[in-house]
Amino acid sequence: MDPAISAIIFYVLAAAALLSAVGVVALRNPVSCALSMALCFGFVAAIFFGMGASFIGIAQIITYAGAVLVLFLFITMMLDVKQEEPVSGSRWFCIAGMVMAGVLAGIFCTATLRLPGAKEGRCPVRVLVENLGELDVGNKTQAVPPASPSPYGGSLPALCPEKRGSSDARLLGENLFSHYSITFAILSFALLAGAVGAVALGRKLPRD
Amino acid sequence: MTPLSHYLIFSGVLFSIGLAGATIRRNILVVFMCLELMLTAANVALVGFSRAQGLEGVPVYDAQVLVLFIMAIAAAEVAVGLALIVAMFRARRGVESSSLTSLKD
Repeated sequence: MDPAISAIIFYVLAAAALLSAVGVVALRNPVSCALSMALCFGFVAAIFFGMGASFIGIAQIITYAGAVLVLFLFITMMLDVKQEEPVSGSRWFCIAGMVMAGVLAGIFCTATLRLPGAKEGRCPVRVLVENLGELDVGNKTQAVPPASPSPYGGSLPALCPEKRGSSDARLLGENLFSHYSITFAILSFALLAGAVGAVALGRKLPRD
Repeated sequence: MTPLSHYLIFSGVLFSIGLAGATIRRNILVVFMCLELMLTAANVALVGFSRAQGLEGVPVYDAQVLVLFIMAIAAAEVAVGLALIVAMFRARRGVESSSLTSLKD
């Protein structure tokens, strides 16, 4: 696809995702908040597709927009949550929270724009490694040789599916089950503990 | 194409919106949704770095494996958290965080 078109698609999707995230915070009815969250997750999944991480995008849709959202809607309807009523004196609290989040967003933006190599559009990790190679650490023969700079110049490298050799999900699965197999097993225990904990917490408490 | 910093700025702004919601809202359910937003923002940053570090259009898949782990942990967290919210509703008859004041009183 034309790079300019994919950039425009990313900006449109990012603006839509941010708008629906604001909807999660600003809407009064919890059901509207949950639906706005689903919309936001859908846009983020589309951004993942645009970044070439198609398996992550599908997993995002299935887990978040599928399972998590349905759980939220079930609980919201089961508890019959009423709309939030404003409490006097909460206006300053709202303003303080917004100012805090705005300051944090500003910190994120400035820190991102001041990353090493950000002005040239290069990968910050690569620039850091090159700077480490230039440092005098007493053993100059160990200096990291500069890699070919072309994939890091300007913008993110374009996707080349034919150079991967196989599909995105296959490469991800090979990495997952070769380097991270023990972590994966531990993670399944964490999921089991979560399920057991949810059942244990969901029992009726004994009245005493 | 979009540079890496734009993905990171998007992720940071999404995180800040989630933080604002977790601070401002008093409905525990909405606070929980905002926590999910913040986790998603972290995922966007991870996928961006995986794209930027990869050579010749092949991303580094370690970051995407980490994203999968974050998603699984988020699913477990939602199960436990919603069970906690149901237990809180049974005990307090409400899901407002302003009703959790038994340490203060």
